[in-house]
Amino acid sequence: MKLLTANRLTDGLTLWFSAAGWSEDAAQAARLDDDAAEALLTEWKARETEVVGAYLIPLSAADAPVQREHVREFVRANGPTIGQTADEIARLHGRADIFQEY
Amino acid sequence: MYVYDSFDHAFVRDRNAEFADQVARRLSGELSEDQFKPLRLMNGLYLQLHAYMLRIAVPYGVLSSKQVRKLAHIARTYDRDFGHFTTRQNLQFNWIKLADTPKILEELAEVEMHALQTSGNCIRNTTTDQFAGAARDEHEDPRPWAELIRQWSSNHPEFTFLPRKFKIAITGADRDRAAVRVHDIGLHAKPEGFDLYVGGGLGRTPSLGHRIKTGLKGEQLLSYLEACLRVYNRYGRRDNSYKARIKILVAALGPDEYARQVEEEWESLDKAAIDAPAAEIVRIRSFFPDPDFKDAKFDRVAYERAQTADKAFARWVKNNTLAHKRDDHVSVTISLKPVGLPPGDASSAQMDVMADVAEQYAYSELRVSHEQNVILPHVPKADLYALYTRLDAANLSTANGGKITDMIACPGLDYCSLANARSIPLAQDISQRFADANLTDKIGDLQIKISGCINACGHHHVGHIGILGVDKQGIEFYQILLGGRADENAALGVITGKGLPAEAVPAAIERVVQLYLQLRTSDSERFIDAVERLGRNTFAEALHEPA
Repeated sequence: MKLLTANRLTDGLTLWFSAAGWSEDAAQAARLDDDAAEALLTEWKARETEVVGAYLIPLSAADAPVQREHVREFVRANGPTIGQTADEIARLHGRADIFQEY
Repeated sequence: MYVYDSFDHAFVRDRNAEFADQVARRLSGELSEDQFKPLRLMNGLYLQLHAYMLRIAVPYGVLSSKQVRKLAHIARTYDRDFGHFTTRQNLQFNWIKLADTPKILEELAEVEMHALQTSGNCIRNTTTDQFAGAARDEHEDPRPWAELIRQWSSNHPEFTFLPRKFKIAITGADRDRAAVRVHDIGLHAKPEGFDLYVGGGLGRTPSLGHRIKTGLKGEQLLSYLEACLRVYNRYGRRDNSYKARIKILVAALGPDEYARQVEEEWESLDKAAIDAPAAEIVRIRSFFPDPDFKDAKFDRVAYERAQTADKAFARWVKNNTLAHKRDDHVSVTISLKPVGLPPGDASSAQMDVMADVAEQYAYSELRVSHEQNVILPHVPKADLYALYTRLDAANLSTANGGKITDMIACPGLDYCSLANARSIPLAQDISQRFADANLTDKIGDLQIKISGCINACGHHHVGHIGILGVDKQGIEFYQILLGGRADENAALGVITGKGLPAEAVPAAIERVVQLYLQLRTSDSERFIDAVERLGRNTFAEALHEPA
């Protein structure tokens, strides 16, 4: 299973591919089986007037969150963590269903 | 400050028109991302984690009130109401829309600003001492030379596509506040001419520059730089970007051999065709006169009374002012490091306040320091308390200049697509750990510098305590370095032991600081002096003992 993510060309904002198309909300990200994910990636890589830098994030299982090795994706999904301290980050997580707690 | 002539205006206008066309063609699909990326980078536009980032050039860190107001306007109109001052004396906006970029550049051009030479493998913005033209220990104002280098390097046809980026720093004071030994080329003006260092740098392969020339006359500066760049451009590694900086070439050839080749190249050049004519140097110098210093009567008794009555003001004067070449003036550091907030950030409202107070009290001159603060280089002492009061009302009076909470931190993984770990939240944690003003004053001068990856934008190699964020199997860890310094006695810090998780770093630093306070010979022995006297290992053990 994978998630598809990219940045919107016009403003660069982080996008997540959802059942309803691209969403700015990572919680809406669709869990795609590998073949579908690869096909969508190929399709969207070619649609450069809409999104740039499309790539896939692997999930270890269908219902698993994004693994903790993807701290970068945690930040991309939740926005800058500035204003929260590392201690707070360690306690807080915005999207346990998608992104594993840090 | 330098004022654009018709050539400068036309140059910037043409570049902006060219880029506006490129943006339009990218949005229409005529240009692919692969085609567009190098074009946008040449205009300072990056695509980061969350949005486009526009890096605006502040040549040698010099700004006017009018320019700062424009930056505030851009923050308010096109970004999320704040900007981030960088270790390259530039300013970054983190939430820029691609389609807005041409309009932003047009607005910048109205105040003689742009985003050129802030990215790409060219000669980048030349950096210098933030107290240039004001400091008491200065014997040569570096700004005219930095401007000369800017004019020579902008759009230089031979050096627009170097093997890698190229950074020049220049200072003209006894104390090196421009970190010249850790730049590709560092220039230190001495009474007999420039000392020229080459091959310094941070990043993956930290290195201190080697002095290959002394007594270089300013009138020959450009031809000598041209020779240095030519040798690099000819032999620098283009096959491996990790080995493409000049420091790698200098290390491979040896400084003596590199210097020999430069001298040989220099001899072959038509120097008269490259070096600026004497009249041009005089013309450029004429843009950097002293301000029309106010001879306001300085009432020392009232000044001292104000400090007695307001301890916070007294502390700010002690920590955030520097001796000026005139007894009745000082240079002021406006700290952008309030406890618990991101280092280097300023809101649009704060930018407006800085522009206003500069206009009212500081001859409309501001500077950006590579420590990510804003400087008012010339402030009459008679106006200091009024200035302080205005800054205090805007949360700009943090009295921590040069202290442990005056940290450098790169944007890190909160914004940067290259980073491996976050820098800013860690800086916030450390800042809160040392929030007690009495404690920070007791500790004295101590520079912490934090980078979120090996590229070292946060200068961690030259922090008295350096912190490098690394990714260890998906978890952020932080390696601690000790003993670095970027001044005239520049040294590279050494990594101590294994990395620590973020939540363990503030306590580890506190242990080191407490040990320093126990071991120092007197209040005047700074942390870095104690590390050099006792050895790094003495302090490394404290870093890594169990919490």
